[in-house]
Amino acid sequence: MRFMMIVKASKDSEAGVLPSEKQLAEMGKYNEELVKAGMLLAGEGLQASSKGARVRYSGAKRTVIDGPFTETKELIAGFWLIQAKSKEEAIEWAKRVPFEDGEVEIRQVFELEDFGPSEAVEHHARLREQITKTSAKPKP
Amino acid sequence: MRFMILVKANKDTEAGTMPEEKLIAAMADYHEQLVKAGALLDASGLQPSSKGWRIKYSGGKRSVIDGPFTEAKELVAGYTTIQVKSREEAIEWSKRFPNPIGEGAEAEIEIRQLFELEDFGPSEAIERFRDMGVATKK
Repeated sequence: MRFMMIVKASKDSEAGVLPSEKQLAEMGKYNEELVKAGMLLAGEGLQASSKGARVRYSGAKRTVIDGPFTETKELIAGFWLIQAKSKEEAIEWAKRVPFEDGEVEIRQVFELEDFGPSEAVEHHARLREQITKTSAKPKP
Repeated sequence: MRFMILVKANKDTEAGTMPEEKLIAAMADYHEQLVKAGALLDASGLQPSSKGWRIKYSGGKRSVIDGPFTEAKELVAGYTTIQVKSREEAIEWSKRFPNPIGEGAEAEIEIRQLFELEDFGPSEAIERFRDMGVATKK
């Protein structure tokens, strides 16, 4: 089972304030433990929404709206993607995230098996195989 | 440069309604074009927040709050991460992203640039991230 642990944006992340050396070190240690457990699939930070954009769909029209976006609670600032054996295991790891305050949201990721069999789903399965082959995954 | 295309949740995704075959096919076509251009890093859909939870950190305390969460606009339903040469290229790809609700409907996606390790000053902690292969280009 794969889970995404989502970190929401804050005033600091939106202002482009980078984490302190101490926070980076704690995060590095946590990530290392995930790697050792063979669970870490990805871990990324997102730049402030001022560097981002939104695409709005209306009928056939597409409009690009440049950031920043003001509703911090609607924005994400980073995430981990982990592979766990159960929901309980994912909860345990989420509790160990080295944060002093704030919130992390954990969401289960769809696997292709969750969709009914169809030609389009087969197509996605072939694509997934291709990206797994072409991307050099870090070796735990 | 790496970018993340985010699809926000709505009533349907939160209700666990699976996309129609037509939309799944449009998504497969789009992602195939990304693969051919060597731009696709990853893509996934997230299960409804009713299957998720939040951890609240306060001092040394951690509390678990079970989903569902009500504010659909604050929730992510899926994402695609891409590797491109410029922000303009990312905007071009994002404009071609199939309407995540279905063509003709009102919808919005969000595009955000990912941090690279080079964006942080050099430090021992960053070197450890590099060794782990975390937050690095594929």
